[in-house]
Order: sequence, then structure tokens, then C-alpha cells
Amino acid sequence: MINGNLKATYAADEKIVDNRYKFSFVWGLAVLAALLPIFANDYVILVACQVGIMVVAVVGLNVLTGYTGLMSLGHAAFVAIGAYGVTILHHAATALSIPEGIQPFLTIPGAMALAAVIGLVVGLPSLRVKGVYLAVATLSANFIIIFLIELDALAPWTGGKTGLTTVDPSIFGWVLDTQREVFILIAVMAFATVLLVQNLFRTRVGRAFIAIRERDYSAEILGISLLRYKLTSFAISAACCGLAGALMAYFYARVLPEQFELLLSLQLVAALIVGGMGRTMGPVFGVLVIVLSPELLKVILSAIAGDSIEAAQFRAPLQEIIFGLLIIGFIMFEPLGMTQISDRVFRAINRWPFARG
Amino acid sequence: MTKFNMTRRSVLAGAAAGTATLGMPAYLRAMSGEFIIGASLPLTGPFATAGQLIAPAFSLYEKIINDEGGIAGTKIKFSTEDSGYVPQNALANYQRLLASEGDKVVAYYGDSTGFMKLVGPELKGDQARMMTSTSFATELANPETHPYQFMSGPTYEDQFNILLQDIAAKGGKTVAFVHSNTEFGTDPIKAGQAKAAELGLEVVLVESTKPQGADIPTHVTKIAQANPDYCILQGYVTGVWPQLIGGARQFGLATKFMGTFWGMEKLIADRVTAEAGPFLEGYQGVMPYRYSYDTENAPRLQQIAAISKVALAGTPLENYFPTWGIQAFASLDILTIALRRNAEMGKAPTADNLAAALATIKDVDLGGYFGTNISVENNKVGTGRVYQYSAESRLFTPTSDWLTV
Repeated sequence: MINGNLKATYAADEKIVDNRYKFSFVWGLAVLAALLPIFANDYVILVACQVGIMVVAVVGLNVLTGYTGLMSLGHAAFVAIGAYGVTILHHAATALSIPEGIQPFLTIPGAMALAAVIGLVVGLPSLRVKGVYLAVATLSANFIIIFLIELDALAPWTGGKTGLTTVDPSIFGWVLDTQREVFILIAVMAFATVLLVQNLFRTRVGRAFIAIRERDYSAEILGISLLRYKLTSFAISAACCGLAGALMAYFYARVLPEQFELLLSLQLVAALIVGGMGRTMGPVFGVLVIVLSPELLKVILSAIAGDSIEAAQFRAPLQEIIFGLLIIGFIMFEPLGMTQISDRVFRAINRWPFARG
Repeated sequence: MTKFNMTRRSVLAGAAAGTATLGMPAYLRAMSGEFIIGASLPLTGPFATAGQLIAPAFSLYEKIINDEGGIAGTKIKFSTEDSGYVPQNALANYQRLLASEGDKVVAYYGDSTGFMKLVGPELKGDQARMMTSTSFATELANPETHPYQFMSGPTYEDQFNILLQDIAAKGGKTVAFVHSNTEFGTDPIKAGQAKAAELGLEVVLVESTKPQGADIPTHVTKIAQANPDYCILQGYVTGVWPQLIGGARQFGLATKFMGTFWGMEKLIADRVTAEAGPFLEGYQGVMPYRYSYDTENAPRLQQIAAISKVALAGTPLENYFPTWGIQAFASLDILTIALRRNAEMGKAPTADNLAAALATIKDVDLGGYFGTNISVENNKVGTGRVYQYSAESRLFTPTSDWLTV
């Protein structure tokens, strides 16, 4: 009977995808993403881009909440910093006569760095408070950032309440001016982010985060500086969200303050919980559920009830209720999220026919 | 095993069929079925009340036009989705509809300024469709930047302009602007200040409030300190504006309050009067359209009243159709004129052609929504007049002539 994966070499032990089913799943997803721009219609591309952007942001939240154990309800603020930051930096780069073709190589890291710096500031309360208290502290960051973006005094840069028209990025002269082209950038960035963050937890820094999550006093006694690592976690997490924001700015033709309000922060947390906290694939599965289920519900309920106006009036609240029940169901019946379900499935097929579950 | 035989004849026949399908102009393919008009409405979320009240307008309009024989012989069909008042959701709805229905979709009805701005730059090539919406945002009334988006009334700046002209004509000297701290609220404030200065009115207070759950006593105190002759309220839908007026009346202020389109709904004013008393007596505001009960010389409103009496029997809309729905009707009628003119010219219903047809709408009688003939200039209809609410009759009645700005 197979009761584990035999690892005969150190190289096998270090593998990220440690069995062939996982290998085919991960590379299958990558191939699917690569084929989408060729075959998918505009709507599928739109949804796929939304998934990609959300994955990057939720991976960021996972670093903080899933791996370091620090709760945040304000991550939409970092997404906003990324989106506004990248647009403002593009304008600044143009003013400085920096060639358009290399601008994204400066503006994307710039926006991420800006989000990371703001993340450090927002993370300061985490040194004194945790749990729901920290959640409330971060929540206020969301409101403060949106307030600042809407402030009349900053409106010449942020566009105030009317928002900013974004820039089509040009990569060495290749202008990504269609959603299909931006999808390629989003897919590459999402894949890279998942991979890099997965690897972060194979390093000393990542292990320090996990130690803090398990018991911060013990971690400190072991010599882990809480000040340093909690703030590092906030900075990395915010930088990922900044990247998501930058991609969002490239994807949508306009950024508006209302895109980054509390609803987005809650969606990020919900996606993480549904997907599975502190797991590599958690953000991916969670985002797929959170973004795709409302869309699928729309399609299914339209097929059942029709697309008349009366049906839409009936369907709209029903969709919300079913979506709510779905989230409650996940939390009640699988609190470890979709990753746990996928683990069981992969374990079962890996050991078949000897064992199940 | 069957062998696939590819002969010269089958290739030619296939190529001919393919060319016939692909080569057929898009508008002919669309004409062969129906015109689909998509819509996103906030059927859930903070503005669900407005969305639910607008929704019946679409089914009634569909019935009216199809009973008339459609638009140039083509029937219309609405495809409505909920947006929850989230611009990205409305954008997803729009793109989902384009992906599933393609060229059949000739126009779209948006649910917010946010959506119109978000979708604006996306409207290019085969993604472009003619659009109208619930929004009167000034920024949208610009054919240069938003060529495919129009509104069937005056912009918020125009509405302020009409109110300020009315105040000046009535001998007012001082005015206050109280607005929600949203884009909707701040839209006409700067232009309003300039217009007031031009008309010799002194703006004694510009006060920003929350769009919902505002701190009423503080704002009322500020209004009392400024003590203006008139106070214009902007950027509210169902809440805040009645409470502000109620607070001012309790305070004993003589200031006359005025509102713009979204603060002029009779259903809201009636509900407030029923629940809190007659303090909205004398409340005035600008309205681009006639109210649905003002059907004299308004054949379209008579038609709407007749059809809603049957189709909406037993609902609160049986005898009164909300202004928000009238706005949808007026916008759709303008769109229908553009579609008809375009079809008469034998052109495909593309966004570019419809935008050109829209620009030809000059001095047209729209059926009585407006008390005057209207023109679409700069993708808007800059016409409106001032109405006043009576708590006793529970009606808004006109106090000015129709003004076009």
C-alpha cells in the first residue's frame, strides 16, 4: 500500500510539484492560460483577467494572513496604491522623457515599492495588536487611503473622485492596448507571483513568518525579530497587492476610487478563506470560486429563468443569496478551504486503487 | 471507415456558403433577427430601489415598440442584468452580452457614471455600441471624448444653471450648495459657483456631506449660520435631502430648498410626507421631464400611463410612473429615433452610424416628455424646468417655463 511519496534524492524532496498528477494539473493550467488569448472570446478574457489580478492580490494577502497569521481588512488600499501609483509614475516618466517601451520596467516596481512603503506604515500597529484589533486598524487604512485619493488637494495627481484615465503599457514598443494582450502580462505576472511566493516559504524569511504565525512569543524567544519580520511580511504582502493594482490599471481603461473600497478588501479575505489560508494554491482556488461562481450563477439562472427583465429582478437577489450560502457552506463544511479538497482528490488518485481520502 | 472526399465542387460550394455568411454585412445579419438592447441596473446593493423602479420601463418599452411593429420592422429585445452598482460588474455584463449576442446588440443602458467612465475608453472597433445611462454627469456630455454616450436631459451643471437662473429671476440674493461627497455630488459645484457669480448671486455656503447617514444637525447648523435665501441640494437619491430639509424646518429656517433630478422623485417625497409630516411643502427642483401624471399634450406619457395601468396593475406603479423610469423612456425614444433614421439611410446600426444619426436629432417633438421640441447637442438634451412640491396635493407642479441651456 502506498502511504506516502517516496523521495529518494534531495532534488526530489525540493520539488514544488511532487507528484505527476500535480505536475499535470499545474502545467495544464499554464497551457490553458497560454491558449486562452488565441481561442477565448472577449468575455472569457475579461473574466480570466479579473481572476489573474485577484490571484496576485490574494497571494499577497496570503503572505500576511495565511503565513504570518496577521489579519488584514484593508488590503484594497494597497491595490489602490498600485493602480494609482503606476498611472502617476507613467505620467512622471513621460514628463522625464523616459522612452515608453521601458516605462513599465520602472513603473511596475515603483508602484510595488510605493505600496510596500505604505504597507510598512500600515503594519506598525501589528507590533502592538493582533487578531480583530489589527483587522480594525488595517480597515481604517482602507478608508484613509481612499479619503486621500479623493481629497481635492491631491486631485491634480489622483483625479479626485472622478478617477484617472490609465495608460496602455508598452513593452519594448509592443503596446498592450487590447484586453487580450494585457491578459498575457497578467497571466505571466500571476504565475510568477504564485511561484515566487511559494519559494519564499522555503527560505529563512518565510520560515520566520510561519514561526510568528504559530506563536509569536516563541518565535521571538527563538531569536526572530518580530519588528523586522512582521513589517517585512506587511511590505511583501502590500507589494503583491500593489502589483495587482498596477495590472488592474493596465487592464481597465480607468481607475475610480470606488473600485478599491471595503468590498474589495472583503472579497480578498473571502477568496483566501474559501481557497485555504497558508497554502500555495489557496489563493488560486479561492479566486476561481469567488470570481467564477457569481458568473456561473448568472449563466445558470439565466438558462433556467430566462433573461427577461422580470426574471432579472427575481434572479439578482437570488444570486446574492446563493453566493452567500456557498461561502457559509465552505466555512462550515471545509474550513481548510478548496486546497484541502484538492489535496484529498490528488491523494486519492495518487494512491488508487489502494486507498481513498 | 468513411473517407472524406474533397472535390473541386464541394470546395467551391463550401467557399461560396462561407463567403455568403461572412461577407453578409453585419447589419443584415442583425436585421434578420432582432435588435438587442442590453442594460445593467442596480437591482441589488445601495441603489436597488432605483434599479427596481427603472426595470419595468424596459419591459413596457419593449412592448410599446414591438406593438408598433418594431424599429424599421425589426423587433427589439432587452437583456437586463444586475450590477449591484459596481462599475466592474456592469462592464462584465456588457462584455458578456457582446460575447454571446454579438452584432445583435445595438445599444446599452448603463447604471452609473462610474460604469460610463469605465467603459468609455473600451468603446472602440467591434466593442463599440451606442450607450445611454442613468447619469447626467457633465463629463459624459462631450462627443469628443465620449462619442457613443448620450443623455436624455441636461447635465448636472446645466441643472444647476437652470436653478440659478430661476433663483435670480425670483429675486434671490444668496444661495448655499449642499452636496454629497461623491463625484455625483461635486459634479456641478465649481461651475455652479461661476454661474452664480455671473448672475450676481452670492454663494454663502458650500457644504459637503456623506451620501448616506450624514450628520444632519451639524449641516443644518451650518446652513442656519449662512442663512441663505435658497439652498440647492445635489448628489442624493433616497436619503439625506429630506432629513436636511426637515432639520432646517425644525430650526425655523426660511431658506427655500431646491434639488436636481435624482432628488425630485414623487414616491420619495410622498413617503417622507406620509412618515414625517408636510415639511417638504414648497420644495423645488429642476426636472428635465414632465411627471407621468402630466399627460396633457403628451401622447407618449398617455401611452405609458395606459399601458402601465394594465401591465403594472396592483403595484404602486399602476397610477404613477417614477421619473427615473421616465428618464429611461426618454433616453430609449431618442435611441429609437437614431435607429430609425439610420435604418432609413440604409446603414448598419454601428456605434459610429448611430452617433451620426443622433447628431441629426434637431428640433424634434419627442412625444411630450419635454414641453418643447428638443435637440441633441453635445450628446445631451439641455432642457428642463423648475417644479414645486405640494404636501397637500402630493404633486410636483411647474413654477417656471421650459428652459434650454
